[in-house]
Amino acid sequence: MTFMTLPNALAVAMLLVLIGAFGVLRRRNLILMLLSVEIMLNGVNLTLISFNYFLWGATELGHYMYMLSIGVAAVEAAVGLAMIIVLFRNHNDVTRDRISRLGEEADHEDDGNAGVPAVVAAVPGASGEVRT
Amino acid sequence: MPQVPSTVPDLLSAASAVLVVGLSLAVVLARNPVRATLLLILSFLPVALTYILLQASFAGLLQVLVYAGAIMMLFTFVIMMVNPPPGAGEVPADDAGGARKTFRRGDLAALLLTGAIALIVIPPVHNAAARITAPMAASGGSPAHKDGFGTAQSLSQVIFNDPVNNPLTVSFELISILILVGVIAAVNFGRRKARRRVSRDPLAPPVDGRDA
Repeated sequence: MTFMTLPNALAVAMLLVLIGAFGVLRRRNLILMLLSVEIMLNGVNLTLISFNYFLWGATELGHYMYMLSIGVAAVEAAVGLAMIIVLFRNHNDVTRDRISRLGEEADHEDDGNAGVPAVVAAVPGASGEVRT
Repeated sequence: MPQVPSTVPDLLSAASAVLVVGLSLAVVLARNPVRATLLLILSFLPVALTYILLQASFAGLLQVLVYAGAIMMLFTFVIMMVNPPPGAGEVPADDAGGARKTFRRGDLAALLLTGAIALIVIPPVHNAAARITAPMAASGGSPAHKDGFGTAQSLSQVIFNDPVNNPLTVSFELISILILVGVIAAVNFGRRKARRRVSRDPLAPPVDGRDA
């Protein structure tokens, strides 16, 4: 292959990592931040596979590391999403600006709602929406 | 090494690289959370194609089966559970003519910060890649790959051959312990909060009944 050389593969992987980093910084929804982390992981996995192909033809150590990385990604997704669900049960929101007690006010257009402390949102009826 | 004597792999790898980057950008910029998740699942398919073109057929299979099939299923499921209303975290979905609204002040900051990260990270990676590829080009392209490189059989021989002395076998089994711990943690997160809610929430019994 003349297109998929090691520098090109690394460039694609670097682009993926940067796109994922941009998503993590940009997104306000915690689930979508985790989604962007998956994009970054994707870029790293691409480097594992391409290094194995271009530098090491004898064994599949890079493929094995890819399998490890997938296992860790699965656990990370399971635990992270469980944490997000707990957060949603307690605050009825998964927006990072609104459940933050440390930062300044969010710069949304709907600042009026965003300024409401998250505790107010955690009314008893909140769990009804978890069930649906 | 059996070579396909045409430009087909070239075109496929170039197209999949473009598709991956484009779809990932779409994931990051999409307004609808469900659409972002589905786009990410879609973006895993060209990645799998790239893996297969790099003779990592089993890894490509894992990418589709485990990553796109199982892990992203978790994301889809949680998004359905949490069901973020329009405007919950992203740009309000209902503002008409809001193509400009995709970028806001915070997004500009995120873009600048990403650019700073790129400026920091790209030069050393570029140098390292140049150092690696210089001897590679001298010896003529990629190394010779063994027969059946990247197949499930070959990979399993790497992992499980001589299991007593093979550290890969041990680390492979350690993944299962990690997954077990993760499952216990996830279940525990979900359960304890539900029980605490029972004590002070009159609407709780259905929640308890569902968890039991």
